[in-house]
Amino acid sequence: MSEAELVEAITTSHAEQIESAEVLRSQRVSVVVKREVFLEVAEALRDEYGFKTPSAAGGLDYPKEERMQMIYYLFNPDSKITLTLRVDLPRDDPTLPTLTGVWEAMSFHEREAHEMFGIEFEGHPNMIPLLMPPDWRGGYPLRKDFKGEAGEE
Amino acid sequence: MSEPTITPDLMRISWGPQHPMSGQTRILLDVDGEKVHKIIADLGFTHRGIEKILENRSFLQGIVPIERMVMIDTANIGLGYVMAIEESLGIEVPERAHWIRSLVCELSRISSHLYAFGLQAESTGYFPAVFLWTTTDRTVLLDLMEELTGARFSYNFFLPGGVMKDLTEGFEDRVIEGVQYLRKRFEDYWTAMIENIVFEARCNDVAVLKPEDAIRLGATGPVLRGSGISIDVRKDEPYAAYGDLDFEVITESACDSMARTKVRYREIGQSLNMMEQVANEIPGGPIRTRFPLFTRSKPGEVYSRVETGRGEMGIHMFTAVGMNPYRVKINSPTLRNMYVFERLCELDEMLMADVPVVINSIDPWYLDSDR
Amino acid sequence: MAEESCELKRSLDWVPGSGAVYSVVDYVAGWARKYSIWPIHLVTGCCGPEFMQTSGVQYDMERLGILPFASVRQCDCIMVVGVVSRKMALRVKYLYEQMGEPKYVVSVGACPTGRGPFYDSYAAVPVDEYVPVDVYIPGCPPRPEAIIQGMMILQEKIKNTKRIGVKSE
Repeated sequence: MSEAELVEAITTSHAEQIESAEVLRSQRVSVVVKREVFLEVAEALRDEYGFKTPSAAGGLDYPKEERMQMIYYLFNPDSKITLTLRVDLPRDDPTLPTLTGVWEAMSFHEREAHEMFGIEFEGHPNMIPLLMPPDWRGGYPLRKDFKGEAGEE
Repeated sequence: MSEPTITPDLMRISWGPQHPMSGQTRILLDVDGEKVHKIIADLGFTHRGIEKILENRSFLQGIVPIERMVMIDTANIGLGYVMAIEESLGIEVPERAHWIRSLVCELSRISSHLYAFGLQAESTGYFPAVFLWTTTDRTVLLDLMEELTGARFSYNFFLPGGVMKDLTEGFEDRVIEGVQYLRKRFEDYWTAMIENIVFEARCNDVAVLKPEDAIRLGATGPVLRGSGISIDVRKDEPYAAYGDLDFEVITESACDSMARTKVRYREIGQSLNMMEQVANEIPGGPIRTRFPLFTRSKPGEVYSRVETGRGEMGIHMFTAVGMNPYRVKINSPTLRNMYVFERLCELDEMLMADVPVVINSIDPWYLDSDR
Repeated sequence: MAEESCELKRSLDWVPGSGAVYSVVDYVAGWARKYSIWPIHLVTGCCGPEFMQTSGVQYDMERLGILPFASVRQCDCIMVVGVVSRKMALRVKYLYEQMGEPKYVVSVGACPTGRGPFYDSYAAVPVDEYVPVDVYIPGCPPRPEAIIQGMMILQEKIKNTKRIGVKSE
C-alpha cells in the first residue's frame, strides 16, 4: 500500500474521526485525530493498516496558539511507512486516554511526555517519572515557557 | 522514584547505577530465589536535556551536543541531525560527500559493535581478554578517524551540505590495510568467543524474543534482526551512499542472546566490505556545498531516520522562522530496547545470572536513552 | 585527624630519632600508595570510551598501578568520567561517603568540571558542588594522554602526603 492510497483509505473510512491526513514525503504520513475518538483510530491503525511497531511518542508545545500536540510515531514493518499520529490538546487541559492498551511499549514514552510536558494520561498503569529525578520541582522542562532550573517553582 | 509495589514472597534487588554490568542505570529485580519475576528499569541517570539544549542553539551549534548522545557512535547520530537540517533547509549534498559519510558511519558502527562485543564477553564472566582485544582493535579505527577528522571520538565532521575535510592522501590505502587487519582479527573472535563452549552455554536459549513480540514491543536494530526480521533503515530508505553500496541485511533466526551477538558479528563483516567498496570506488568531485553560517529557516517539519549501531534513530525537527530549531524530538533506539528488556523476563524464563548477559545482548547506551 | 597524628608525634618526641623514622616510613608508605590507586568503575557520562581506551592495551593505565574496580569499599578514588546529572550527583555523593579514607576524586572531562557543552542544561551539575575534587582533567573528551597526566598529578599529590590518612593541601 503506497502512501497516497493509505491516506485515501484512512480519510474515507474514518472521515468523521480525523481532522486531517496528509503525505509529508515518501514513507512519511501524518494523521491528526480528534481527541474523543483517538483510541478507536489507533486500534484501526494497528489492526487494519498494519502499524504494529510503536517507535516513540513525544509532545510539542505551541504557547501562542494555546495548544499542545501529542505525537505518536508508528511504523509499518511491511510497507516501511512511518506514520505520525497526532492529537491536538488545549494547553490548559492536556489530558488524553493512554495508548498503552493498544501499544504496550508506549508506556515509557508517555511517562516521558508526562514529566516533560505535563500531559496527563488517563488510565496509565505506572505513571512514575522516567528521566527526571524524583525530587524535581522545577516544572515541565520542554514547555516553551520553562525557564530556570530545579528548585525554582 | 515512587517505586511500584512488590508482590509478597519476592525479594527486590537494586542493581546499579554504578555496577559495571548495568551501566548508568538502576535496575530493580524482583526475584524468587534465582528466578527473575519482574524487571523495572530506572533510567535518567545521565539525563542532560539535550532536546531543550538544541532549542537554544543555532543549527550548526546543535551538532556538538547531539554527538555527545552516543560517544562511541557519534558519526551516525550526527548524520541524522545533519540530514534533518539539510532536508528542512533544502541543501544539496555532492556525491563524494555522501560516500565519505558512509565510510565514516561504517567506521563508527564497527567501533560501536566492538564495544557491545567486548562487554558481552565480559558479562559472561570468562573473557576479559576479549574486552582488551576490542580496545586494541579499536585503535586501528581511531587512528584512521584521527587522520581524517582530527578527533578520536567526537568528530563533528559532518556539516550541512557535505563533510568538513576531504580524504587525506593515501587514505584509501590505509583503509584497505585496516580492513584486512580487522578481517584477520575477527576470525580469532569467532573461535575464541562465539564458538567457545562457555560462551555458548551462557548465551544460547537465553532470553528468547519471538518475532511477533519483537514487533509488538517495538524492538529495533540488532535486537529486531536477531529475531529474524529484516528491517534496516539503510536498506529500506537509503541515505548517504547506501543506495549504491552492496550489502545485505543480517538476520538470525534463533532469537536468543547468541543470535543478537552473531548479528553484530556478521554486521561488522558487512561494514568492512562496505569500507572496502568505498575505498575502491569513491567518486571524485567537490566535498561540500556552501552553507551560510547564519541561516533563517521557514516553518515546517522534517523526520529523518538513520540506522545507528543500536538501531533506528529518528530525529523529528520542527522549524519556525528563526535561527534555531523550534523543537527537536529524538527517538532513541536504546529507550525502545530497554522496554523490551523490561518485558523479557515475562516472555522467557530468566535467572539472576542471565541478567548481565541479556542486558548486554541488547547493547544499551544510556546516554542515548536518557538524552 | 590531622591533629590526632600530630598528637601522636608529639607524644613520641622524646624518643631520639623518632622524626627520622617517621619520615622514612612516610616516604615508603607514600611511594607504595602512589602506585596502588584503585578508582571505582563509575562512568557517569560520555567520556567513557576514552576511559576505556586508557585502561585498554595501548595506553594501559594498570602499568601505573591504576586498576578500575567495581566495589567502592575496596577503592580509594572516584574517577567521575563524564557529565553528572542531578540524579547521578546524589549517587556520586553516596559513593564518596561509602569509601574509606584516604579518598580522592578526579573529575575527567569538561562536563563534571563545569558542565562543558551542556552549560545551559537544566539537568547537568558540576560535580564539585557535591564532592571535593582533587584533580580536574580538561577536554571533551580528554585524550588518554591527558587522563594519564591527570592521574600522575594525583600520584604526586598522594606521594607528598605528610601523614598517612591526611590529605596534603
